[in-house]
Amino acid sequence: MIANIANLTRWEWFKLRRRWMLWIVLVFAILFAQLAVWGQFFSYENLQSTGGEITVPATLQQQQGRLPRTVACNDLLSGDQGRQPADLDVQVIAGLAAQCRQQAATQPARLARAYQGFTLPGSISTALVIVQALALILIAILTASAIGIDYGSGTLRSVLTQGTGRWPYLTAKILTLAILTALGLLVALATVAISSVIAGAIAGAAPSAATVTATWADAGLALWKAWVSVLPYLALTTFVTVVARSSAAGMAIGLGYYFLGQLLIALFSSLFSWFQNVADFLLVRNISAWTQGGAGTSGGFSSLGGSLPDATHAIVVLAIYTVALSTIAFWIFERRDVQGATVG
Amino acid sequence: MPEYVIETKDLTKQYGDVIAVDRLSLRVPHGGVFGFLGPNGSGKTTTMGMLLGLVHPTSGEARIFGDPARHPATLRRVGAMVETPTFYPYLSGRANLRYFQGVGRRGSSSDIDRLLELVDLGKRAESKYATYSLGMKQRLGIACALLGDPELVFLDEPTNGLDPAGVVEVRELVRQLGKGGRTVILSSHLLAETELVCDNVAVLSRGRLIAQGTIQELLRQHDAFHLRTTDDAKARVTLAPLSWVERTEERDGGLVVTAPQARSWEITRALAETGVYVNELVPVHRSLEEFFMEITGTDPTTGRERS
Repeated sequence: MIANIANLTRWEWFKLRRRWMLWIVLVFAILFAQLAVWGQFFSYENLQSTGGEITVPATLQQQQGRLPRTVACNDLLSGDQGRQPADLDVQVIAGLAAQCRQQAATQPARLARAYQGFTLPGSISTALVIVQALALILIAILTASAIGIDYGSGTLRSVLTQGTGRWPYLTAKILTLAILTALGLLVALATVAISSVIAGAIAGAAPSAATVTATWADAGLALWKAWVSVLPYLALTTFVTVVARSSAAGMAIGLGYYFLGQLLIALFSSLFSWFQNVADFLLVRNISAWTQGGAGTSGGFSSLGGSLPDATHAIVVLAIYTVALSTIAFWIFERRDVQGATVG
Repeated sequence: MPEYVIETKDLTKQYGDVIAVDRLSLRVPHGGVFGFLGPNGSGKTTTMGMLLGLVHPTSGEARIFGDPARHPATLRRVGAMVETPTFYPYLSGRANLRYFQGVGRRGSSSDIDRLLELVDLGKRAESKYATYSLGMKQRLGIACALLGDPELVFLDEPTNGLDPAGVVEVRELVRQLGKGGRTVILSSHLLAETELVCDNVAVLSRGRLIAQGTIQELLRQHDAFHLRTTDDAKARVTLAPLSWVERTEERDGGLVVTAPQARSWEITRALAETGVYVNELVPVHRSLEEFFMEITGTDPTTGRERS
């Protein structure tokens, strides 16, 4: 049985690697990972050259009929009259300079944080924040497409008459997608590593006050969490695609749930306090809790809907979702009669 | 080795109130080409689906080579092309065959070249399946069904979409496949074609098996004579009570008597004994199509009832 699944997985890869969609998804993952690294790099460069920026108060801008703008602290604190913003009152400049002096106390720590964000191993975790969120969207598209094509073009009939067995075939598909997700993350992070070395070389030595807090163990843990967080989403999209026998439905529900789930949690949590308890058992929220480390950590607060559940609660809920959705999908796949093409 | 390559017992498939296949008990002997006939909606494809593990029977059982039909190990000994062939549109013809060969673990990669040549797709093997014409898709479907040299091959309407030359080629191919111990199940509504290649046939109508046997046997059961006598009315009365006369009817200014041709002498004797003399006795040779229309009451192509 294991040999059969391994063989089917190999041939699933044979099919998938010939699809443009797989490579487009990978390119997106790499682009977004690069965006995270270089975004951090330019943020660091900006912080270093400006000493931080202060936004000119909106009320003041409105009074003066100007567009929103920022001023650099290095200019304000330089004492050089030529570098002061000529269009602002002296009193305003004094106020902004006071803010800059306050910020200056935290400047070394901010620089250190920014530096870690684009150099190894900290850049891995930085990139994963964006790549993980994107991976949920991409895996929904890829899963729905990989499973749905057998219904749409009617190839499920041709495959099953080869004597593959039903559940080994679906297992091989899910396994292939899970492996490809892991490989995709690794490839994206490999490019992050290369970019980090380049960015680090351009940036030069670490800021003097930098204390290295990011470790390779943290990076590994972030990678593990990112991969695990994709699995319930993979199960959800598989479930919808099998039930609806359609890749379009799989994609629509997979993507729709991701965005709509977050929106509804934010909306209902703000309207009804009791909804927070319901939200703690919803998929999207527990994915956030799992990847951000849950309550009690620095990242344990969601901008949409209050504090997140703890990591143990999150992983248990995610495991239940994964097992339940997969079990139903397998049961339906095993029991249902196979018809011709459904196209869609 | 079991006596029959396929054996079903009271095989039934019901969709809500509709019975697609009704207590079908079928036996397909080893070797040769077996015609699976019936008008549209008679249950042929549903039966094939149940034999190939695609459709779950409501009740009854189906065995292939003596083993449960839907078992993966059994299916690996079977090749099939059911309804319109379905392949991955973004893969080439060759890549599709490689894939199906791989998942089914059927034969070696050198078989693919041979099969592509066999179905005359060698020159278009690298083109994407999406660009194939209906006839080419059909040919690829046949090649796929032959991967791994299976002992049993299901071909559902294999000549659909083929030009006349292609039909002749496929007919010859099916005939060749049926030789040397392999069994081919050929489902078709083109009865003239079936008659040319099949050794045995089963006829389904409204989900029920209504006839099964060799074509010669089946046609012989419905042998008939065209008869002109000195008194047709009296001849009908004389022949009606004979147990081996199935039917007599007036047609074309004479009588058509359905009875075994070997008993023609008994007809003339019986009539002579009652004072009726035969002017003309001509054996009527029926085609499979006529036989089919007679026993199913439908047109084989359209599936519509005869008026």
